[in-house]
Amino acid sequence: MALLGALLLVAAVVLFILLPVARGQHASLTREDDEMTEAEARRRVTLLALRDVEYDYHTGKLDEADYMALRKELSAEALAALRAFEGEEGATDVDIEAEIAAVKAGLAAGTTCGACGHRNPDGSRFCAACGQALAAREATPSS
Amino acid sequence: MNVLGELALWIALPVSLWGMVLGFAGGRKQRGDLTLSAERSVYAVFFLTIIASLGVVDAFLNDRFEYWYVANYSSRNLATYFKVSGLWAGQRGSLLFWLLLLSLFATIAVWSNRRKNREFMPYVAGTLLTITSFFLVVLLFADVNPFETLGFTPADGAGLNPQLQNYWMTIHPPTLYLGFTAFTIPFAFAVAALLNGRLDSRWIVLTRKWTLLSWFFLANGIIFGMRWAYEELGWGGYWFWDPVENASLLPWLTATAFLHSIQIQENRGMLKVWNMGLVILTFLLTIFATFLTRSGLIESVHTFAQELKIAFIFLGFMASILMAGLVLVLYRLPKLKSENQIESFVSREAAFVFNNLILLGATFAVMWGTLLPLISEGFTGQEITVGPPFFNRVNLPIGLALLALMGIGPVIAWRRASKKNLKKNFLWPLVVGVVTAAGLWAAGARHGMALLTFGISAFVMAIIVVEFWKGTRARARIEGEGVVKAFYHLVARNRRRWGGYIVHVGVVFVFTAFAAAPWYGEFLQTLEPGETMTAESPLGHTYEMTYEGISTNIRDPDKNLQWQATALVSVRRDGEPLGTFTTEKRRYIRPEAQIVTEVGIKSFPMEDLYIILADADLDRILQGDAGGQAVTFNVLVKPLIAWIWAGGLIITLGSLISMWPSAGAVRAPTAARGRGTTGAEPLPAGD
Repeated sequence: MALLGALLLVAAVVLFILLPVARGQHASLTREDDEMTEAEARRRVTLLALRDVEYDYHTGKLDEADYMALRKELSAEALAALRAFEGEEGATDVDIEAEIAAVKAGLAAGTTCGACGHRNPDGSRFCAACGQALAAREATPSS
Repeated sequence: MNVLGELALWIALPVSLWGMVLGFAGGRKQRGDLTLSAERSVYAVFFLTIIASLGVVDAFLNDRFEYWYVANYSSRNLATYFKVSGLWAGQRGSLLFWLLLLSLFATIAVWSNRRKNREFMPYVAGTLLTITSFFLVVLLFADVNPFETLGFTPADGAGLNPQLQNYWMTIHPPTLYLGFTAFTIPFAFAVAALLNGRLDSRWIVLTRKWTLLSWFFLANGIIFGMRWAYEELGWGGYWFWDPVENASLLPWLTATAFLHSIQIQENRGMLKVWNMGLVILTFLLTIFATFLTRSGLIESVHTFAQELKIAFIFLGFMASILMAGLVLVLYRLPKLKSENQIESFVSREAAFVFNNLILLGATFAVMWGTLLPLISEGFTGQEITVGPPFFNRVNLPIGLALLALMGIGPVIAWRRASKKNLKKNFLWPLVVGVVTAAGLWAAGARHGMALLTFGISAFVMAIIVVEFWKGTRARARIEGEGVVKAFYHLVARNRRRWGGYIVHVGVVFVFTAFAAAPWYGEFLQTLEPGETMTAESPLGHTYEMTYEGISTNIRDPDKNLQWQATALVSVRRDGEPLGTFTTEKRRYIRPEAQIVTEVGIKSFPMEDLYIILADADLDRILQGDAGGQAVTFNVLVKPLIAWIWAGGLIITLGSLISMWPSAGAVRAPTAARGRGTTGAEPLPAGD
């Protein structure tokens, strides 16, 4: 009885791990569509950095001059990241071009939220997605 | 069941080796079938380890003393839950238990990634199975097989060490093991990233929760161990710089460093090599901890094993991991270049780097002190041990610097901070710190280092409170929310940051409690029944202990007792009765090696009263000799002990907040993003 159980156990385990090789069952090895690429990750990080600077400014850790300078640098970085993102994804879909252009414009105009990346209509004072204040921002040169 | 259990281990080894080879091959050759087989091997090893573990538990529950392991760690009269915990009571079982937890986590990691992050998974499976293979080799070939039989069946087992028969002892080791093994997952993803060349922050983002989980279990495991020592060892201490305590502290220190430094990589693309180094080092230290605990290399109250063969196997494995890690990092060095520079030494990045250097300094100091006896014996034949004074002296400045950084770091802006703002932000917290220290000095506390610790603690608390307040106020103003709602949203929207600050509060509590050590009082007195002794606490309370008498309980096989002598003490605090407390000496039937002291503890928010039955003429007491009932009590008054446990709870709360799955982590369906119409996907709640 014990011997039978042991044999069954061995057989089951061996079958379980050998079947994929024997029958050619495959696991995927490629990135799925909804996973972040390196460029996308960088884009999010630059947006996060913008949000951090915002937070540091509002809680008095950065003074105005530093804040404006950093914002300018970061916006430039964010735009570079967006371009890279565009380069990676842009060829596949025409709409993305427009999308990214809009995000760029939004960043430049201060309507794209630094906290969550949501693009708000012109003239918005608060982010519609997360509630972050947008109004205090002044237009920064886009690059 | 037992035979099947051992068989399962023998099947698991080839399965694990097979999966290891196929995992790496699948990644290298980009073969999906090999990868699938490797991933299934992970599940199979987990399944087989469950069978083996059930085999051991079954042997314990059914008193199968023909097994060496059961005979040495159990006895017929042992309580059932201690029999179950026999799985991790000794070296052999705990190695199997380690494998069980590791394969459980490996299964969760592989299963939850079966449809995503596929570029990492062949190598993740290969790495995880390398480690399970190692533990299987140890279990089967290093003379530590838990299923080894004696060749005869003793009538009863030797019993479990009575000091391990304690509630905290049943949960302390598993908690630590959960922490040790959980860290294998970040390590496996790091190795996978090195192998597949995707060296951005992806592997860190994917394993952040695992790192937090591991840290959480390690922190709790360490605190449970302190609690056990305090309640059970009977000398009123909670930390003795014992090699095994140190071994659990080491990976916690480096994991703490890692948790902080990955934030710089995520935010600024810096410190990539450093993080790889830390993840490999932390993993090695988790293995090192098991090695120290369970190889018998260094004398320690925790060690019950003496075999050296296993020590060499462990050393060989750690050396191989270290070499492989170094080679991989060197190979990928060009891709691990920093994307940014630290712009200023007065920036949050710089504060994180200091934090890391200090934590590593502590790691090496503790490691040095732990290994010195071994090294000195190896080279000179003379064993040199360093005691708690060494560790305390070395770690005190390190701890103070860390404590201060917990206050400084959060207030400094990313990238660069201006002097004017620093002054503005630090002024009031500094005032709070200085006033606290000065106030305590005025109240009569005259201990420089302790006052410094209290002052810095107050400074850090002030900073954290102000951080929460400013954040809440900003949010309330922007959103027009009430303070409570704004506070809730503030924390909920960026759990990692604010959860981290809450953890800091817990750490401040623990450090403050440590700094109260100079005020621990000790009162030793021999009393006849009816006599009273007094103890003065540094906080001005007077305790009066009246020895009411001693009762005995002789030959109680149901409780595994040869005898038990219980002294009854009624206590009054400032004249108010607190009730009666007991402290006792016991000797168990199995094992009968030592006499155990049980202490009476009364805990207040500000101090603990700790009553030890220090000495008694046990022969006369056990014979019921009415003239020989005098006993010596050692009464300890220890301020702020409760703050350690409170700090532990706060640390738990903070890490749970940090770990809690956030809405931001749930990814929107494919259709709504990427091809996106709004770009409104939530960003991770990073910091």
